[in-house]
Amino acid sequence: MTSTLKPYLNAVRATLQASLCIQNFDSRVVERHNKPEVEVRKSKELLLTPVVISRNENERVLIEGSVNSIRISIAIKKADDLERILCHKFMRFMMMRADSFVILRRKPIKDYDISFLITNTHSELMYRQKLVDFIISFMEDIDKEISEMKLSVNSRGRTCAEEFFKQFY
Amino acid sequence: MAKNTSLSGFRKIDIDIYNPENYNEDDVQNIQEDLMPNESEIVSLINSKRSNEALSLVLKNPPLNSKNQQVKDAVLNLVMRVLRSFPNSLEIDNAVKSLSDEALDVLMKYIYRGFEKEPRDSAQLLTWHEKVYAIGGNGCIVRVLTDRKRV
Repeated sequence: MTSTLKPYLNAVRATLQASLCIQNFDSRVVERHNKPEVEVRKSKELLLTPVVISRNENERVLIEGSVNSIRISIAIKKADDLERILCHKFMRFMMMRADSFVILRRKPIKDYDISFLITNTHSELMYRQKLVDFIISFMEDIDKEISEMKLSVNSRGRTCAEEFFKQFY
Repeated sequence: MAKNTSLSGFRKIDIDIYNPENYNEDDVQNIQEDLMPNESEIVSLINSKRSNEALSLVLKNPPLNSKNQQVKDAVLNLVMRVLRSFPNSLEIDNAVKSLSDEALDVLMKYIYRGFEKEPRDSAQLLTWHEKVYAIGGNGCIVRVLTDRKRV
């Protein structure tokens, strides 16, 4: 399983590097507005072809580019119901605090678990390479985090059950 | 009104169809025939273990201008069959090296399309992506992203 992780992350990294060519671009529809074109989708010619990179049926990344912003949506593997709940809770926790994560989007795109929105302002304020590194390390850690949480939920359940059954001997 | 030319045919031209507001990008008809790689030829090349030739043949005439999604899907399936027929990464390396720049871009488009349509084969596609990226570089991906002619 881990053998496909590295090429997967490399492919995502390469695609992110290529699509992070973004610049300041004023809205063409509303005067004196400046919006991420990937979100407003008003002019077709400013959007790039959305690409998907998948590792298997459940794990994939959608990268949508535009002239001044890119949107990255990640679907995380969910093997069973417990992982599904953990993933949902964890993502909710982060998305409620999206302001402090700067590039995190408050809501994920449909069919995906979490979305990031990088605009030209972000790429000017932060190093572009570090942004890519952040997304990649996020993807690396999230799997680890969820399987760790799953283990701790299971061991906590076991300890609870042991303590409960002690009163019956 | 004074008439200083004997030609009046231009008055009959319907100029409204040239109004830029009436132009719709999606309506533009393609007079060009759908060029499609020859399926039976490619299948026979795969069967006779000449995957290299099959690959260069399948990437030669991609239906980039076609509006027909079925044609595109059929060609995608064919490309996926060719890509699957490569046994190991050494063969893939050699095949990628022998391709021209245009064919490399088309291959990259099919790789991304394959990720979307057939996630079950993504382990193999990831290998292909790696090899094509090693040769084509960032430019190859940027051309996939910016090209309007999708596969």
